[in-house]
Amino acid sequence: MLGAIFRDALKNLSSNLLRSGLTMLGVIIGVASVIAMMAIVEGGQVWLVSSIERLGTNLLFVWKKRLTIEEKRMFAGRNLKLRYDDALAIRDRFPELQVAPIIQIEGHVKAGERDYSGRITGTSPEFSPIRNFHPAEGRFLQQSDLQTWKRSAVLGKTIAEVLYGSKSAVGEQLKIGEHRFTVIGVMEPKGEVYGQDRDEMIFIPATTALRFFKGDDKIRSMVIHVPNRKQMEEVTHKLHQFLIQRHDGVDDIRVRNQGDFLGAVEQTIWTFRIVLGGVAIVALLVGGIGIMNIMLVTVTERTREIGLRKAIGATRQNILLQFLIESTTISVIGGCFGVILGIIAAYGFGDFVAQSMPGGGDWGAVIEPEAIAIAFVFAVSVGIGFGLFPAMKAAKLDPAEALRYQ
Amino acid sequence: MLITLRHIQKIYNTGEVEVKALNDLNIEIEQGEFVAIIGQSGSGKTTLLDILGCLSHPTSGDYWLDESHITTLPDSELTTIRNRQIGFIFQTFHLLPRKSALENVQLPLMYAGATRLQQQSRARELLTTVGLHDRVNHHSNQLSGGQQQRVAIARALANQPALLLADEPTGNLDSQSGSDILSIFEELHHQGQTIIMITHDPLIAQRANRRITLLDGRVLADEPTESPKEPMLQEN
Ligand SMILES: Nc1ncnc2c1ncn2[C@@H]1O[C@H](COP(=O)(O)OP(=O)(O)OP(=O)(O)O)[C@@H](O)[C@H]1O
Ligand SMILES: [Mg+2]
Repeated sequence: MLGAIFRDALKNLSSNLLRSGLTMLGVIIGVASVIAMMAIVEGGQVWLVSSIERLGTNLLFVWKKRLTIEEKRMFAGRNLKLRYDDALAIRDRFPELQVAPIIQIEGHVKAGERDYSGRITGTSPEFSPIRNFHPAEGRFLQQSDLQTWKRSAVLGKTIAEVLYGSKSAVGEQLKIGEHRFTVIGVMEPKGEVYGQDRDEMIFIPATTALRFFKGDDKIRSMVIHVPNRKQMEEVTHKLHQFLIQRHDGVDDIRVRNQGDFLGAVEQTIWTFRIVLGGVAIVALLVGGIGIMNIMLVTVTERTREIGLRKAIGATRQNILLQFLIESTTISVIGGCFGVILGIIAAYGFGDFVAQSMPGGGDWGAVIEPEAIAIAFVFAVSVGIGFGLFPAMKAAKLDPAEALRYQ
Repeated sequence: MLITLRHIQKIYNTGEVEVKALNDLNIEIEQGEFVAIIGQSGSGKTTLLDILGCLSHPTSGDYWLDESHITTLPDSELTTIRNRQIGFIFQTFHLLPRKSALENVQLPLMYAGATRLQQQSRARELLTTVGLHDRVNHHSNQLSGGQQQRVAIARALANQPALLLADEPTGNLDSQSGSDILSIFEELHHQGQTIIMITHDPLIAQRANRRITLLDGRVLADEPTESPKEPMLQEN
């Protein structure tokens, strides 16, 4: 009997294709938006997490907090700012940590006829292993470069190409501002990480940067590698306390580990999930209301048929099932099309992001089987849920009246 | 006694007005009778047929059908009785659109729980007995009125009902098709089928063996029909 009811449902739906199609459209859009939105959010999460992980693993980031004018006045005269000394002190106090200070200056680089204006990074040899970013040619900075304020420069891949074309840059001379530097290495290509193009970086010794370009010993930030991941929280705390102590008791720095970033990302992603998921679910519910609407019309149109079926022996359950199967068929077929459309939309959006967003190159849509399952189950539930009321209405019809319905 | 009606009343409540469609009706019908019900429009014929067919409950009174005390049974059991004991034939045929003759006849068998194979062979057999063996796969819109009514008869007979109920079965047919339908009824009557048929036409009522006349929800007359018309014509 179920087979016969199902065949009837298909026949009825196909006898009014336009109407069935339009009704399905609501479900299709609902399911497609659930899948596409979930895929995009998951893709975003994968992208963000991998961006953070590509910063290097087991890392701590230290930088200066911005103080309010009030705080600045209050703490006037105390030893504030993040200084090169701080980095050295951390190295003395916590010998197991690798510390890379980061100084950033804007500079004009000139090599023969070619030049380049941009950001130059002063740092220490630790930067390379910490960030898992290695020279492809020549070498990275060494301690001796820092000790003697060497004017050595390591170029990112793109910079090396801009300044020297295809010929090898190692050993060449260049000028940064007024100062003459020797290229000692060219980095491997790394591409964009977290919105920063690694191939456009120029590295010089931290001490050289301070002495020739800054005139003080303020550094922008520090990247610190902690050997044991389990100690991250503990080290974060200790380091923070140590720096507060060095800064005459003023807490003017931030120490963050990757876990903190990942946590923040996770939170943001959840916000997106809830907002976008909510929108998608509303779309599905609207689709469900469309089903209910059409099923009510169908029940009214087929009142005489229902009366006849009851007269020749259909039970309430038979009639209920007949109309429920019809509404569920709409939602199942709509759900299938919705899944297909959702996958297409998700990949389409992934491509769109990859092409239009800087650094979005590897933001692909991530379609989890769970997302498809959830959307599909939800669509079917909507079909059953919103089909139930019209079906019950049909099942409850009085046979004598239904037979003579005009 | 196949059918016993005792003090049957049916009152329709439409807003302020109360319509007494049936008023203290007492009727007994035996197995194998062919009864015609006649009466003016609005006299309560269809209302009576609805009650006999277990499609609606009387407001008061008792109805026994073949030992079952219908007026005490719940709706779910009435459904089974409609399926197994009663066959309906309507003025407007009531075939389901988008279904073949065969599928229409299969329906009561399906609701009775027969397998698809059983349904089809029985439906084919029934369509053959009403002379439609070459029309089994035609849809209702491809059949003439008389053919549609014959499909409806086949459907009504599907589960070998104790009682065949027909509400103006020839009302939408030309006289030739109507006469064909009546021939089928007569044939069924000869085989012992109990038939109750509503009609407006005295000539058609004549072909039954008992005639009940209703007026304002009461039995005005209940008599055997005079000897069939054909012999009378022969006498003349
Ligand atoms: N559902 C209803 N609600 C209210 N009144 C009804 C209803 N059905 C029938 N009636 C009334 O009950 C009375 C009997 O109606 P019924 O349909 O039984 O007459 P009938 O003898 O079949 O007439 P006809 O020959 O025109 O078909 C009529 O007065 C009719 O108006
Ligand atoms: Mg009537």
